[in-house]
Amino acid sequence: MMKYNRFKAEQEVLEAKLPSNIYRFMDMNTSRPYLVMAARTNRGNVYTLRIELDMFPDSIPQVFVNKMLYDCNNNPLDTPSSTMHTLNSKNGCTQICHYGSSSWTNRVSLYKVYIKCRLWLEMYEAHLSSGKPIDYYLKHQN
Amino acid sequence: MIVYLSQEELDAFAIDRAESLLGYAYEWEGEGVVHLHTRSLTHAFGEISGCMFSKSAFCTDVVEDVRWLVFIDEGCIKVGLRVDGGIQYVGFQMIPSKENLYSRSKGILEIRVLQNKHVAIIGLGSFGSQIAIELSKSGVGEFSLVDFDRVELHNLARHTCFIKDLGRLKTDAIEEAVLGKNPYAKIHKYPLDISKNRMELETIVSHVDLVICATDNNPSRFVLSQALFDFQKIGIFGRAFTRAEGGDVFVYRPGQACYSCMVGNIGVAQEEITNEASARQNGVIPAYVSAQDADAMVQVGLSADIEPICNMMVKLALVELSKGEASGISCLEDELVYNYYLWANRRERKFTNWHVLPGAGPMPTIMRWYGAHISRREGCAICSDDEILLDIGDNLE
Repeated sequence: MMKYNRFKAEQEVLEAKLPSNIYRFMDMNTSRPYLVMAARTNRGNVYTLRIELDMFPDSIPQVFVNKMLYDCNNNPLDTPSSTMHTLNSKNGCTQICHYGSSSWTNRVSLYKVYIKCRLWLEMYEAHLSSGKPIDYYLKHQN
Repeated sequence: MIVYLSQEELDAFAIDRAESLLGYAYEWEGEGVVHLHTRSLTHAFGEISGCMFSKSAFCTDVVEDVRWLVFIDEGCIKVGLRVDGGIQYVGFQMIPSKENLYSRSKGILEIRVLQNKHVAIIGLGSFGSQIAIELSKSGVGEFSLVDFDRVELHNLARHTCFIKDLGRLKTDAIEEAVLGKNPYAKIHKYPLDISKNRMELETIVSHVDLVICATDNNPSRFVLSQALFDFQKIGIFGRAFTRAEGGDVFVYRPGQACYSCMVGNIGVAQEEITNEASARQNGVIPAYVSAQDADAMVQVGLSADIEPICNMMVKLALVELSKGEASGISCLEDELVYNYYLWANRRERKFTNWHVLPGAGPMPTIMRWYGAHISRREGCAICSDDEILLDIGDNLE
């Protein structure tokens, strides 16, 4: 569970970096807190991200796109895939593999997680256009 | 026949009002060794039969089928074995009482101080199990053992547990091992995952003098580090690098750098992966890695490779627990002043270019410890007095 001083620090970074109407912390006083964020890609498409905070910042937070995404061959992105940087889906939502566990530290901000997922969304759309897998564009992190 | 009696139990029986009691004889079958106890052992062994303890020789006649008899009369103790209707008296030896059990360590360790110390061991794998037993051998009197896992086949090569322990909770198996060395130790068992039971973890940490952090992943160490900081307790972290080519030990002392400062200052190490299931659970092996590739990622060192790291953790724990008390280990207080220790084990990977031992002189070599002072990190996510300095991704391309 996030400590209050950490929560304040995360809020301050998000306030400084993003418009206040694109993110909202939810259920923060429960055992299943999460952050909902909107992300608009360079092509103008809007996605909703759900960042689960129950183990944050000690562990990498799970990030889901709030719907099932499909690859260029119309297959659902619902399983772990090295080439597409995805993990197991949950409740019909695609899960993004956004951070390597060996690289994770408890200093990583939610803003950075958001930016990495934003990058994934850009590469996902590049994949839809080119047919090349996402790891053609994005390196793997340890 | 070799017979053992417990001094502590006999002392208790001597002052008890009861004239006699029916106890237990634990006999190692075919080995001619028997241990006689007034109470049943938590973890029995060998063939079990009855043993009559009595303050009067007459009382034993009523229990015909009891083979072993112990008479206590004004400080005089006799052990009898029924043979062919008669009683044959045999010699015996005593399991010393609490204060004398580790008298051999006197002068080196301040046993009475350690008897009153409470150590939590978080993670009872190949590190935690060895450390628990070593600390019990040193006379530490109270343990909180924390691990949700069970003893599995892949553990056995490096673990203190045996094949007979397969399937048991590690907390139960290590309790037995600790009590086997120090039957007077007080044990509290917590078969739980600390990452999912923070309140319980905080309760445990708040009650102990020192925490041994022997988990195998950073998320659990961050959780522990936060609890250590919150309750201002000493913590000793240890780990091995890939294939135990080396390892390191970090000591958290209240007011000094925390584990998170250490990670921030020296970076994240490539740790050995000892168990596929747990590595997958922690995300160390990503979900998309095939079973075959994952199998190749599990590369463990030998038990002998990690023992130096466990030993260092034990010594650091004993020094911290004995601080301020005159004992033979006090001199180490002048030596073990660092909060970070690096162990170089083999000339592989990060140690490849280190010098071979013969003729290395002052150059870095393997089979040595290197100490360093890690400073508190400004804006640390756990122990910073000021604002937390978050990683906001300035390094992202």
